[in-house]
Amino acid sequence: MNEPAASSVRYQEATKRYGSSSTPAVDKLTLEVPAGEICVLVGPSGCGKTTAMRMVNRTVEISEGDVLVGEQSVRDREPAQLRREIGYVIQQIGLFPHRTISENIGAVPQLLGWKKERIRERSAELLELIGLDPELGDRYPAQLSGGQQQRVGVARALAADPLVMLMDEPFGAIDPINRERLQNEFLRLQAEIRKTVLFVTHDIDEAIKMGDRIAVMREGGRVEQYATPAELLMAPANEFVEDFVGADRALKRLALMRVRDIHLWEAPLAHVGQASGEVRAKLAAPDVEVPFPLLVDSERRPLGWLSERDLAADVVPNQPDSPLGPVLELDDVMRDALADLLQGETQYAPVVDHSGRIAGVLSVEIISEFLASPEAKSDEHAAVERPHG
Amino acid sequence: MSTFPLASFGGAIEFIFTPQESNVTGGNKVGGFDKSLELVLKHLEVTALALAIAVIVALPLGLYLGHKGRGELFAVGFGNAGRAIPELAVIALVAVLIGVGLKTVAPALAILGIAPILVNTYVGVRQVDPAAVEAARGMGMSELAIIRKVELPLAVPTVMGGIRSAAIVILATATIAPLAGVESLGDFILNRNVYGENGLLAGAILVALLAMTIEGSLALLQRRLTSDGLKVKTA
Amino acid sequence: MASPLLLAAAGQVGGDFFKERESGTLPCQADESHLFCFDWAKENIDRYGTPTQQHLEIVLLSVVIGFAIAFALALFAHRSRWAQPPLLAATGVLYTIPSIAFFFLLLPVTGFGRDTAVIVLAAYTLQIIYRNTILGLANVPDSVKDAARGMGLTNRQILWKVELPLAIPEIIAGLRVAVVSTIAIATLVVFINAGGLGTQMYGSGNLTFPTSIIIAAAIVMAMALAFDLVLLTAQRLATPWRRVRPA
Repeated sequence: MNEPAASSVRYQEATKRYGSSSTPAVDKLTLEVPAGEICVLVGPSGCGKTTAMRMVNRTVEISEGDVLVGEQSVRDREPAQLRREIGYVIQQIGLFPHRTISENIGAVPQLLGWKKERIRERSAELLELIGLDPELGDRYPAQLSGGQQQRVGVARALAADPLVMLMDEPFGAIDPINRERLQNEFLRLQAEIRKTVLFVTHDIDEAIKMGDRIAVMREGGRVEQYATPAELLMAPANEFVEDFVGADRALKRLALMRVRDIHLWEAPLAHVGQASGEVRAKLAAPDVEVPFPLLVDSERRPLGWLSERDLAADVVPNQPDSPLGPVLELDDVMRDALADLLQGETQYAPVVDHSGRIAGVLSVEIISEFLASPEAKSDEHAAVERPHG
Repeated sequence: MSTFPLASFGGAIEFIFTPQESNVTGGNKVGGFDKSLELVLKHLEVTALALAIAVIVALPLGLYLGHKGRGELFAVGFGNAGRAIPELAVIALVAVLIGVGLKTVAPALAILGIAPILVNTYVGVRQVDPAAVEAARGMGMSELAIIRKVELPLAVPTVMGGIRSAAIVILATATIAPLAGVESLGDFILNRNVYGENGLLAGAILVALLAMTIEGSLALLQRRLTSDGLKVKTA
Repeated sequence: MASPLLLAAAGQVGGDFFKERESGTLPCQADESHLFCFDWAKENIDRYGTPTQQHLEIVLLSVVIGFAIAFALALFAHRSRWAQPPLLAATGVLYTIPSIAFFFLLLPVTGFGRDTAVIVLAAYTLQIIYRNTILGLANVPDSVKDAARGMGLTNRQILWKVELPLAIPEIIAGLRVAVVSTIAIATLVVFINAGGLGTQMYGSGNLTFPTSIIIAAAIVMAMALAFDLVLLTAQRLATPWRRVRPA
C-alpha cells in the first residue's frame, strides 16, 4: 500500500462552550494521540466525547484552546479543506442514498480532484479491503444490509488516505454479532494501514478491545484517566474509572488476550478409515488431556467429535456422531472465544490456524485456571502489550 | 379605465358602499352596500351548499376507503383528475345541458370539491399511526368507533386541508356561477355594461376578501378541531 | 367523474340524438339540444389549434416563471429559516384569491391580455412549489448532511450535490400539481381576452354549445394528463436509487 500517512493529534486545553452556558461541554482538554494509534474516547452520555472528537475536524468549532493535527493547528485551516484530509465515520453512517456504493466511496477523492480512473481503482481497492464483493460497487446503499453499509462508511473515510480517522460510535447501530465481526475486521485493517484513529464509544468493552490508548471521560469533557487498556484494568485512577470499567475487570482482561496466548490442550486425532483400535489406544494414554477423539481430514482440519458408538465399529466412520460445535481460531480474542464456548454449550472447542488446520483444543477449564493463576494476577502480566494483528 | 390604479380602487370602494349612476339602466342606481351584501350572501350560499354536498359525499367515502386501506388508486387518481377539470366547462355544461339555477349548479360545484376532500381524507386516514388503531381494536372498539374516535381526530389536519382546498375551488368557481343563472359576486364582474368598471373591480375585491375570510375561518376551525396532542412540538 | 345529473341528462338528450341519427332525418347540429355531435367535431377540429397553442404558451410561461420564483424563495428560506412562516403565508394568500378575481384586480395595473394572465397563473403556482421544495429539502436525513459536512463538502456543494437531488421527488410532485392545476385554470383567461381553450367554452359574452365545450374540456384534460405523465417519468428517470428494492 501507500506510504504510511498518519499524523499525531494533540489537544491543547481545548474548550467548547455552547451559547451562554457557564459550564463548558469540553473543558480544557489536553491529550496527545501518537501517530498510528487508536485512541478511544469513552464515557457516559453527555460527557463531551463526541464534541471533543468533532473539534478535530471542526464540525464543532473550538471556543478556546487548540487542536493540532500533525503539529498544525486546525484553526489555521479552511474547514472544508481540513475535513477532506480527515476520515469521518458516524453512527448513522450517512451514505448518500442517491449515489452508488462506488460513488460514495469515491466522494472525497472526487472533491480533491483525482482523475476518474484513479478514483475507480481506489474504490475497487477499498471494496476488497473491507471484504465486500466488487459487484456491490454499482448498487445503491438501500440495497445493502446495515453491516455492509457501515463497512462502506469506513471505506469512504479511508478513500483519500487521510491523516487521521474520526469514528463516532461507528458500530453502535449494528447488531452484536456483526458488530464483533466489524470490530475484528477493523483491527485487522488497522494492523495493515496504521492510521491515527480517534474512536468514540460509550461501551467500555469495545474501548478495551479497540483502543491502544483509552481516555475515560466524564461530564465537561474531563479526562479521568488516559492509559493503555491493561493499565486501565489493573490500576484504575479513581472511583469513577473503577465504576465505569466495571466490577468484572478480571473477565474483561480476557479481551486483551488471544487464544494463541494460552496453552492449549491436545485431543487425540482420528482419521477416516483408521482402525478404531488405534484411536482407542490413544485415548487410553495416561497423559491425554481431552477425553474425546477429534475426527480430522487429510489436511488435519476438524470434522467432528467421535463418541463411543463411533468407535464401536472396526474402522472410524466418516460421519461422526456429535456435531463439531464452535470452531475457534488462534487469532480470536479470548473473551469472544469464551463467549462462543459458553454459547455452544460445549466444554471443548477445536482451535484452528489460518488455514483451518487443528492447532489444539480450548476448554472453559483452561480459561478459568488461567484467571485464577497467580501469573494472571501479577502486574507484570498486565504490562504485556495488547496484541496486534 | 383610469390610468391611476389607486384612483380605480377608490372608485371601486365607493361602488361597494354607495349606489352609483349607471349608463345602462338609465336612472336606476346600481351597486351600493345593500346590493353588495346581497351578492356576498348569495355567493356564500351557493358555496356553502356545494361544499356541504361535497363533504357529505366525499368525507364518509374517504374515511371508509382509508380505514379499509382499499381503493388507493381510485382515491388518488380521482384527486389528480379532479384537479384537471376546467371549472368553466363544468359551469358551462350545466348551464347549457341541464338547466340553470341553484339546484343544478350547487351539485356541479360540489363535484369540483369532491376530489380534494376524497384524496385528503383517504391519505389522512392512511397516515394515522397503525399502532394506535391496533391498540383501539384490541381494546374492543367497534370499527365505526375506531373511525370516529381514533382515525378521524388524528387525521383532522389533513382532512381539513382537503376541505379548505375544496372551499377555495368552489368559491372561485361560484364567481362564474352567474353564467348558469345563479347570482353571486360574479354578477359585478361579468356584467360590465351594467355595473361599469367600478363594479368590476368592486366584485373582484369582494371575492378576494370573501375568499380570504373563508380560508381564515376554516384555518381557525382546523386549529380548534385539532387535538392538543397533535399540536405539541415533539421534545 | 361525470356528474350523475349529467349522465341522466345525456340519457335524455342522447336518446333524441341517437333517434335522429338512426332515422337519418336530421343532420347533426351543433347546438344546445345535442350532447355531442361527431360530425361537427370532425369538420371543425381545426379551430382548436390556435386556442390550444395559446393555452400551452400561457401555461408554460406561467409555470416556468412561477417555478423560478418559488424555487429561489425556497432556497433562500432553506438557509434563513425565519423567512419560512411569512413566505408560506404570503404564497398562501396568493393561492387563496380566486383567479378570476385576481385577473380583474390587476386590471388597473396591467390591463387585459396575456401579461395579466401569466402573472396571476404564476402567482397561483408559488405556494405548492415553494412548500414542496422546502419539504423535500427538510426530508433529507440529518445523518447524510452530517456525513457530507464532515467529509469536507462546502455548504454550496451540500445543497446542490446532496440536498437538492434527494429532494427531487417532492419538488416534482409539487410541480405536477402546479402544472395540472394551471392547465385547468388557464381556461378562465378568456375573461381577460387572453385566448386559450376557454374561448371554445365561452365565446364573446355567451356560452357556446355542448360539443364545443366538451371537446375543449377534453383537450384540457388530455393536456393535463400528458404533462403529468411526462413529469412523472422524468422524476423516475432522475431518481434511479428509488427504483431499487431495499435489502
